[in-house]
Amino acid sequence: MRVDALKQAEHAVEIAKAAGADEIVATISQSRDVTFEYRDGALEKVKDTTSQGLAIQVYAAGRYSSHQTTDLTPERLKGFVAEAVAITNALEPDEFREITPPELFKGRSELDLDLVDPAVADISREQRLAWCEAIDTIASNHDKVISTTAGVYDGTYGSTTVSSNGFSGSRESTYCWYGSEITLRDQGERRAEDSFYVGSPHIGTLPTASSVADTALQRVLSRLNSEKGPTVKATMLVDSRAAASLIGRLLGPANARRVQQGQSYWAGLVGEKAFSDKLTIIDDPLIKRGLASRHFDDEGIAAKVMPVVENGVVRNLYVDAYYGRKAGLAVTTGSPSNRLVGTGDRSLDELLAAIGTGVYVTSWLGGNADNTTGDFSLGLRGHMIENGKVGRPVGEMNVTGNLRDLFGRLEMTGNDVYPYSATLSPSLVFSDVDFSGA
Amino acid sequence: MAIKRREFLGTVAAGSAIVTMPGFLSGCGIQSATAISAAMPANPFMDWFGVDQATVARVMSELTSRGADTADLYFQHSRSNSLTLEDGIVSSANSGIAQGVGLRVVIGEQTGYAFTEDLTLPSMLAAARTASAIASGSQVVAPQQFNPLAAGNLYTTTVPWADVGVEQKLPVMKTIEQQAKSKDPAIEKVAVYWSDGDERVMIATLDGKLVTDHRPMARVTVVVTAKKGGETQTGYSNIAAREEFSWFSEDRLSAMVDEAVDRTLIQFEARRPPAGEMPVILAAGASGILLHEAIGHGMEADFNRKGTSIYSDMIGKKVAENFVTVVDQADIPRERGALNYDDEGNKAGRTVMVEQGILKSYLHDQISAKQYGLKATGSGRRESYQYAPMPRMSCTFMEDGPHTKDEIIASVDRGIICETYTNGQVQIGAGDYTFYVKNGWLVENGKVTAPIKDVNIIGNGPESLKRITMVANDARLDTGGWTCGKNGQSVPVSQGIPTVLVSNMTVGGENAG
Repeated sequence: MRVDALKQAEHAVEIAKAAGADEIVATISQSRDVTFEYRDGALEKVKDTTSQGLAIQVYAAGRYSSHQTTDLTPERLKGFVAEAVAITNALEPDEFREITPPELFKGRSELDLDLVDPAVADISREQRLAWCEAIDTIASNHDKVISTTAGVYDGTYGSTTVSSNGFSGSRESTYCWYGSEITLRDQGERRAEDSFYVGSPHIGTLPTASSVADTALQRVLSRLNSEKGPTVKATMLVDSRAAASLIGRLLGPANARRVQQGQSYWAGLVGEKAFSDKLTIIDDPLIKRGLASRHFDDEGIAAKVMPVVENGVVRNLYVDAYYGRKAGLAVTTGSPSNRLVGTGDRSLDELLAAIGTGVYVTSWLGGNADNTTGDFSLGLRGHMIENGKVGRPVGEMNVTGNLRDLFGRLEMTGNDVYPYSATLSPSLVFSDVDFSGA
Repeated sequence: MAIKRREFLGTVAAGSAIVTMPGFLSGCGIQSATAISAAMPANPFMDWFGVDQATVARVMSELTSRGADTADLYFQHSRSNSLTLEDGIVSSANSGIAQGVGLRVVIGEQTGYAFTEDLTLPSMLAAARTASAIASGSQVVAPQQFNPLAAGNLYTTTVPWADVGVEQKLPVMKTIEQQAKSKDPAIEKVAVYWSDGDERVMIATLDGKLVTDHRPMARVTVVVTAKKGGETQTGYSNIAAREEFSWFSEDRLSAMVDEAVDRTLIQFEARRPPAGEMPVILAAGASGILLHEAIGHGMEADFNRKGTSIYSDMIGKKVAENFVTVVDQADIPRERGALNYDDEGNKAGRTVMVEQGILKSYLHDQISAKQYGLKATGSGRRESYQYAPMPRMSCTFMEDGPHTKDEIIASVDRGIICETYTNGQVQIGAGDYTFYVKNGWLVENGKVTAPIKDVNIIGNGPESLKRITMVANDARLDTGGWTCGKNGQSVPVSQGIPTVLVSNMTVGGENAG
């Protein structure tokens, strides 16, 4: 398939050049995805699909555009590419638009990232059903259960990219995820619900299906009899799973595009001590079996380990070639890979004990942040922390503040990294946080 | 791409669903070699996809060879175009074409699904065999001929988007930018994002229907960044509809620009409200987000047939005051959430979810309708041929009530008014939901006193319905480009509401005690 994809991509480059493009980048991608969902003792949904696509980036007369199609029939492809070049020519010239310079392709790591497990392509229907049944059994006999759904999601992905200025690269990966979503009867008409899924490029590294379902069940059981929490200023412990998405929000505008557009509170922070010295974030694209590992980024730039924040000092932003040129910033990479958040030496229980009293956040519900100012407000579910332990479950609460200030008050980090996210974060502890509830 | 989906599964809690405004960058654009207007003979859609009745019948027969209660072939061709104006020039464009057929077979609550982007007979037959594997019975009688239903007329266009070139849109975008810039010297940057598209859908069903629908969509967004002293603020506005180019009139676009500029500049004065519980007034229009989250998702019948929604056992019960009527209606001409037919080939129409305070009807697709012994409400929707349909909202709103906006404001001693929103989310089983307020106002002693910004509001669906104590007579649908996400599928929706008072909600604020 790789050879075929390479030929198709090279062909797209040729026809675009013939149609008048100065420079062109073409990517052919192929994927197979299988879904098994099993609910309350019976198979509910089976989805088995293969998909393909072509994406091109066209540079013509100082102009730029990008296009994608799933229709790869040769006669239509030619028309598609010609139209893409015509659209490009109708735009306005932009001095900052140019194809990624070849020097940024250089230094590509040859490390084996181990992103392909050949066993994934061979997963049988029986194996998927066996996982589903193992998951289903865990919650189906619980006396409060209303519904339990087991899900198995696996597949393979491959892409090949070539450019008219010498780039050539391929990606291949597999994935296998499974887990459980459980709803239990709670007070009145209320239902308690939660889910837990695990995944990896490699099947062998996953915990057993029944242990995953058990984690999901324990999470839901801990939600029973949840009440509205208080309006209070308190210490906040964010569990490692919820921390990954909070780190995502923090880094949302940490890129050249937002900075250049005047929409980022990260502007001017490189070299500054902007956050608590407990905060370290490293972007590492070269982790073996990492969920976002890669040898090169979307622009073909060779992947490198990049510190974003070290002990509270901002070291680098995500800078792509276009906005970097426009903002006068040195190019790093425009898109995040795996993000490693610095860990401390305490376990979750030790963090709880050290806090004594506060709010333990286990998941978010909605909310948002303003990229320009960093002001945020998020809904949450979790528990009160009482006497250094996990106390009563609470919900219907918001946490409100400013992201830069909040991460200035990062007091402790745990040693309990949540592994099923490309953002690998431990639990995080913040002081003096505004909660609103009853 | 695969990683994103898994991350979604891993990090979004069970049974939750969200609605958002667009990310400014994620346009998916289009324009292609073949003009849509070119195909127009007796059966234009069949020709478009290069298939005929016999081919469709052959594939349907294969799809149902191991039995089926219902089955469908969902052919789709979508083309989209987007343009970006930043720093005074329109310097990037994107276009996309997605074409394929989704094949679905349903037995009871079981679904087998496959799709292919290769519309040749061998490839479609192979996909049909894959989808049929869920069943283990014997062949059902599949139709040999499909009966074409009359095309709907909710969003007929005279000029398809494929015929509108970059050169027509470019000057409009420039005008938007210049207008915005001229409004105030504090405005440093203006960005304009344009996206449009045409979608052609053809659905052939096991009961012999052949439904076709041509669905246009367009959205324009303006983002304003202003600086005063050392402080920077960003605000935006957008308008969206199943419309054509001529809809983007000067008046409509200047109203959008004014809105974006006002929303940006007011933030220099706006503060956070105090944290905690208080009365919340929802301004007419976009505040329909309350209905989408507090009740709409919970009324989608897939959650209810599984028993996982807080509304699962509440049909026929009194859930709100007599003056509260909540409707989901797809047949509103040209609205973003409008549909002639749903994605299972059923006529889309009006479903009254709450009638004068009584919980009346869920939103049904065919699977849930069969289970409840009811007629489907035409609420089966899907993001594309790559997905099986499920119950979804279209245009969700509350009808007018007996009060006035002024009466409502005058009745509040200390509370807030919510005016613009970015996103919301709901927890289906617990009924807890949230929405994020970008702009609003403080109300003190019955008067609007000061601007507020950036607060999340959280409540519980059934409790909030009970707490709707006043409903004004100024209902309107919002024209913003709302997108609803559920189980990894996004669909365009509309929402609306009159001015409403909810007597108590939890407001995310500062200076908690």
